[in-house]
Amino acid sequence: MTTDGNALIRVDGLYKYFGSNKVLRGISAEIDKGEVVVVIGPSGSGKSTFLRCLNLLEEPTYGEVWLENRLVTPVDPYLHPEVIEKSKTFGKMLPSFGKEHPSLGEEELKAALIAEIKSKDLLNEKHEGKACKALMKQIYKENSININLARQKIGMVFQQFNLFANLTILDNITIAPMKLLGMGKKEARERAVDLLGRVGLPDKADSYPSQLSGGQKQRVAIVRALAMNPDVMLFDEPTSALDPEMVGEVLDVMKELAKQGMTMVVVTHEMGFAREVGSRVMFIDEGVIMEENTPDKFFSEPENPRLRDFLSKVL
Amino acid sequence: MKEWFSDLAGQFRLNFIDGDRWTWLLEGFKMTLIITFFATLIGILIGVVIATVRSTYDKNYESMKKKGGIGFRILSFFNKICGLYLTVIRGTPVVVQLLIMYFIIFASSTNSTMVAIASFGINSGAYVAEIFRGGIMSVDKGQFEAGRSLGFNYIQTMIHIIIPQMFKIVLPTLCNEFIVLLKETSVAGYVGIRDLTKAGDLIRGRTFSAFMPLIAVALIYLAVVIIFTKLVARLERRLRNSDH
Repeated sequence: MTTDGNALIRVDGLYKYFGSNKVLRGISAEIDKGEVVVVIGPSGSGKSTFLRCLNLLEEPTYGEVWLENRLVTPVDPYLHPEVIEKSKTFGKMLPSFGKEHPSLGEEELKAALIAEIKSKDLLNEKHEGKACKALMKQIYKENSININLARQKIGMVFQQFNLFANLTILDNITIAPMKLLGMGKKEARERAVDLLGRVGLPDKADSYPSQLSGGQKQRVAIVRALAMNPDVMLFDEPTSALDPEMVGEVLDVMKELAKQGMTMVVVTHEMGFAREVGSRVMFIDEGVIMEENTPDKFFSEPENPRLRDFLSKVL
Repeated sequence: MKEWFSDLAGQFRLNFIDGDRWTWLLEGFKMTLIITFFATLIGILIGVVIATVRSTYDKNYESMKKKGGIGFRILSFFNKICGLYLTVIRGTPVVVQLLIMYFIIFASSTNSTMVAIASFGINSGAYVAEIFRGGIMSVDKGQFEAGRSLGFNYIQTMIHIIIPQMFKIVLPTLCNEFIVLLKETSVAGYVGIRDLTKAGDLIRGRTFSAFMPLIAVALIYLAVVIIFTKLVARLERRLRNSDH
């Protein structure tokens, strides 16, 4: 589970429960550099939660998220057989499990027990003993990246824009680079003005968010995220809160961004955008990825019946 | 009528001019302002810290409780301390707190002004803390998430994003608390401080005429409150720049 592959983001066995509500039920995915992954699905399907787990705005119940081969989430013991093997539960169960399965060799037996513990969720983290915890700590120490550092590399754009209401547009954009990257005021401002120009808002630098239209706010929100020079951008239904006539201006900015090679994960209901810009489309429903494919095949030959049903309703 | 006026002039002379008694009021007024000013500063400082601890605890209780760990235990501990402080301070009269501070806790101190500043500051802090906590809780959750998503840690998000917005929300209530505090300092005379109220009362005791000195004291308080309210209204208008 450590350093195989060159995926920018790797998601392993992601589960997210809100109380008894199981929103995500085992999502694994890889997002490569330069990809534009479009995530679609009915509302309540877990697609936004999936996105928010990528930068840990939601903490997954189980599973791991890796950014550039660095672990973002806590260690999930179920993803590391060597951790399960060190657990008290494993030690306790091994003798009786051996009696139940006399035909298995030692290695096979261990593997079967690990699978059993995994599938039945038998680890009780609080009581797993020192050896197990020490190993988890070691894995975390060797692989993890500080979450705030990780978030600097993961830009995020929200449905409700979330521009800082008390700051001017310029300050909205420059505050993070100045405070977090140590960028000088002059440089930060020049970059902000340049970026604002590129999204068609050169004259809004000194306005406040409340003076902007929804589409303008969202373009500023994109610029604010871009100002941190992220490696990947997450879009959480960026056009859903917009009046129809403003959707285009935001999508255009996103298209431009995709053209420049930005890695993007976009949760959206804009099928046109998915078809045109996406390098891969993912259909999430009931907390799992039901289907994923290139846009062409995804829309022309959907296999999953639920996806077919969904597409027939939205297209 | 004419008699009454000439009597009034005489009263005025007796209470304020003779023996330069107006300087008593001036000195008392200065003392009231000093105590109020520093107590406000202490109150705001205590308020920010406690409101941050309590709202952090409230917001993260669910997720942190599950994980446990030393961080949660420390936070729980401080949250309990803050809760105790709020209960005790809000549950007892400020005069009693002042007397306890002066005669028990700082019994060895001769600087009664400092004791009064500390007492009123600590008292005000409890109320300010709850005002601030309400303010923090009413800042949109998205503002916090946006801050965190850029890479700010919890404290940085609080300092750069949430607390500035909180101040704007709580300004009217905070102004109210300042006015309450200003008037509450009038009990400082209990521990022998010559504040504005005490000065008026001393004049009354010397001249045996109550009307002039006490009305003068009341008018001075009233004037300060009116001026302060005007200033805050102007500040509010300026802060409103960001929401048109």
